[in-house]
Amino acid sequence: MTDIFAWIEQTPFSIWLREDLYAFFVVLIFHSLGMAFLVGGGMVICLRVAGLASGARLEKFRGFFPVMWIGLVMAVCSGVLLLWSYPAKALTNPVFALKFILLISAGVMMGVIAKRLFPLAERGEALPGWARWAGIGTFVLWAAGVTAGKFLPYTHHVLMVS
Amino acid sequence: MQPDHLIDVFAIEKFGIDTGIFGFMNSKWGWPTAESIHFIGLNMLMAAVGMFDLRMMGVAKGIRMSALHRLVPFGVVGWLMCVGTGFLFFVSAPGQYLYNPAWQTKMALMAVAGCNMALFYATTANAVHTVGPDDLPPTRARLIGFVSLACWLGVIICGRLITFFRPPYHWCVWC
Repeated sequence: MTDIFAWIEQTPFSIWLREDLYAFFVVLIFHSLGMAFLVGGGMVICLRVAGLASGARLEKFRGFFPVMWIGLVMAVCSGVLLLWSYPAKALTNPVFALKFILLISAGVMMGVIAKRLFPLAERGEALPGWARWAGIGTFVLWAAGVTAGKFLPYTHHVLMVS
Repeated sequence: MQPDHLIDVFAIEKFGIDTGIFGFMNSKWGWPTAESIHFIGLNMLMAAVGMFDLRMMGVAKGIRMSALHRLVPFGVVGWLMCVGTGFLFFVSAPGQYLYNPAWQTKMALMAVAGCNMALFYATTANAVHTVGPDDLPPTRARLIGFVSLACWLGVIICGRLITFFRPPYHWCVWC
């Protein structure tokens, strides 16, 4: 794998992403904004599922899904570019895998909430007992995913380019 | 560094060292722990305040705004997490922040967001709370929501700029 990482890091595009005055931090800005929309939208839905703001109809919170989709596209596209800049640094770090596991788990839980809980709320039926814990647990997954992301620059042990 | 006659940077640094903040922040996990709390707080702010701003702008119709507004205290908790950890960053390296135009812009945007919030509660909150779940709020509310969201997104952008250019003289027009 090291050869592949080294090849990617020596492509002109990867070098440009790292060495251009603006490229890397513009990509990072898009990643931060994308994560803010994705996690912010996810967290507000989790809070409602956990039982807060009970006066607001739960199923209407699906109106925040487009915001989350926009955030996801921004975060993934910029994330791919960040990965292209430093593949060895990221892909040899277990915390990077942890970040993905946490965020994908949060995304799966959002799908469960949308498929299982929103239809119940739409029909005016009571939510099952596990709903509150699903909201709290998913909120924790989002927060833990953000934490793993912030620890990435401090936990890498392989750096083949500066 | 030339002495600053307005703010005693060395006194702030001494405060950081004497209180142990500098030592904690420069320990192995001090800075990333504070950064994580800072970003979780920022996301909580986006969840409660940013999504309320979007709702005021017409997104997610069907959610009663008076009910959604009940989440705002949660956003305030997020903001306090940001302020608390921001204080730790600042005290640990005041020179890196005070003279950094990205940090100055970030503080200015937070001040604008604060004034915008005061304007909302003084002039628009009551009208927004009486709007039906499927109705579009008044134009003034949509404008306030837009300014608030733009300010907080600007805060995120400036936060990123702080770490990349210390100081970013080549884009700063007032440095």
